Amino acid sequence: MSTNFFRRQWIVPYLFLAPALIATVAFKLYPIFIGLWESFIYTSFGGGVEKRVFVWLENYQYLFADPLFWQSLKITGILTILINPIQISLSLGLALLLMRKSKYIRIIRSLFLLPVGVALPIATVVWGLMLDPYQGLVNGFIGLFGIPPQPFLVSEDQALWSIIVIATWKGVAFWMLFLLAGLEDIPKQLYEASKIDGAKPFQNFRFITLPLLKRSILFVLVADTATNFVLMVPMIILTKGGPMQSTNVLVYEAYRSGFYYQDWGRSLSITTLLTLISLIIIGFQLFFLGEKRDEKK
Amino acid sequence: MLLRHIKINWPIYAWYFVILIGLMITVIPFWWALSSSFKDNVTIFAEVSPFSFKSLIPGTSLDPYYGIFMKGFGRAMLNTLFVSVASVLGGLLINSMAGFAFAQFRFKGDNILFGFMILSFAVPADAIAIPLFKMMRQIGWFDTYYALIIPMLANGIIIFLFRQFFIGIPKELMEAARVDGLSWFGIYWKICIPLSKPVILGAGLLLFVFQWESFLWPLIAAPSPDKHLIQVVLARFSTEYAPIWNQQFAASTIAGLFPLIFIYIFQKQFVSALTGVEQK
Repeated sequence: MSTNFFRRQWIVPYLFLAPALIATVAFKLYPIFIGLWESFIYTSFGGGVEKRVFVWLENYQYLFADPLFWQSLKITGILTILINPIQISLSLGLALLLMRKSKYIRIIRSLFLLPVGVALPIATVVWGLMLDPYQGLVNGFIGLFGIPPQPFLVSEDQALWSIIVIATWKGVAFWMLFLLAGLEDIPKQLYEASKIDGAKPFQNFRFITLPLLKRSILFVLVADTATNFVLMVPMIILTKGGPMQSTNVLVYEAYRSGFYYQDWGRSLSITTLLTLISLIIIGFQLFFLGEKRDEKK
Repeated sequence: MLLRHIKINWPIYAWYFVILIGLMITVIPFWWALSSSFKDNVTIFAEVSPFSFKSLIPGTSLDPYYGIFMKGFGRAMLNTLFVSVASVLGGLLINSMAGFAFAQFRFKGDNILFGFMILSFAVPADAIAIPLFKMMRQIGWFDTYYALIIPMLANGIIIFLFRQFFIGIPKELMEAARVDGLSWFGIYWKICIPLSKPVILGAGLLLFVFQWESFLWPLIAAPSPDKHLIQVVLARFSTEYAPIWNQQFAASTIAGLFPLIFIYIFQKQFVSALTGVEQK
């Protein structure tokens, strides 16, 4: 064999890999570093001239001294604690419901899939009108039962809950798909065996379904948390972080600081913090997925 | 279905009751949007308060649709179609090549690179959208179609799908082709790609839906109206023309129905591609 042949052999996989690899480095990895770098820079627009000053950690110092930042961290925390358990338990419940035998199960499953294909901005716009305090369908409907109209998105107390409803409507069917796939992977012989042993349905769930579904649930838990952590479409379209900052999550605060107030140092400091937290969440994901892959080998 | 035989001891009517409630919550918002998109606003408001079931019966007026196309919706649809098709073609090409590299070759750093590429897509795109926006300004792609398409091409899920599929192709087939003097690119292009129709369908559908549904990135990366994508225009309608409900519903209906049609036709492939589990 000629050396030329070996050289070509060596380089072939890298050539196949190059376009996707370059794109990943350029558009996924590099922006993280831009974000970090720019978070050390203060930009001012004195007299229409853009001036950039390297200020080290000053942006972060201002950020940590700002009650608005802590408020928005708090809202992010509350949202995370509320929305993820709600979505995961509903997804699991729905997946279990849809495992039941029925003549119509195919069409029922298909109908439940509808929100998967409806983009979040669409869901947001439609639900925004559904929850309209004056002409919304929800207030019209609950009026049938004598319940007075609710303010929903324009109320400090209900806005975050309304956003949870919107994101959950969109999210449950999506995460349910992963749990349904996990459920269908469980060998049916296990249930036959436990039937012979006289197990009750709850025991089946507790000792067969749950342990074997653990990995799917963990995957959904981590992926759902990462997704909701950057949830801001409803805030951009409907609430603008209000009323009274009640829906101003961190990711929206980053967006607003940059695009409304041109305070890029602040915006990118928050972005960098968000990326850092996301990476921690991904660390968990790596851990669980690693476990999953070992299992399969 | 595998679990057909499991007896859940609650009566069937309780199951149907819960399913029915769930279906109502799932379907009614979109159905209401669809029905109202064929009505005038006065009718929509009158039927909702006080509530009448007429609000869930579709109207017959096409004016709302005429209205949105007067406001630039057609342009946004064409833009989205163009950007989506370009993303599907480009994305299928570069991700299948990467999948081929990971499936066919053992090379230095292969595991690390594979892990890196898969995990970098776990970083939520919305978290890096703002620095990516800064980067687009630096390289002069801001407010161009490049910005809408190229950063979205590489995708860890799609690489993973192709790798899994290519691993399943018998090695003998490729070795024989190698002996016959076919280049590696020839093997990829003439043997592997023609065999991978199912994964191309699923992966292409995913790429199409991702792009069709993208919102935050097109909103900040290409703000001029002539480059608006469909979700951006929809959001604009809901703020700029807030009182004109029927047109918001019409825009939502078109924007929603388009991917739904594809998803329902190829439901099996779509779900397989998304969850990575073969559908029975």
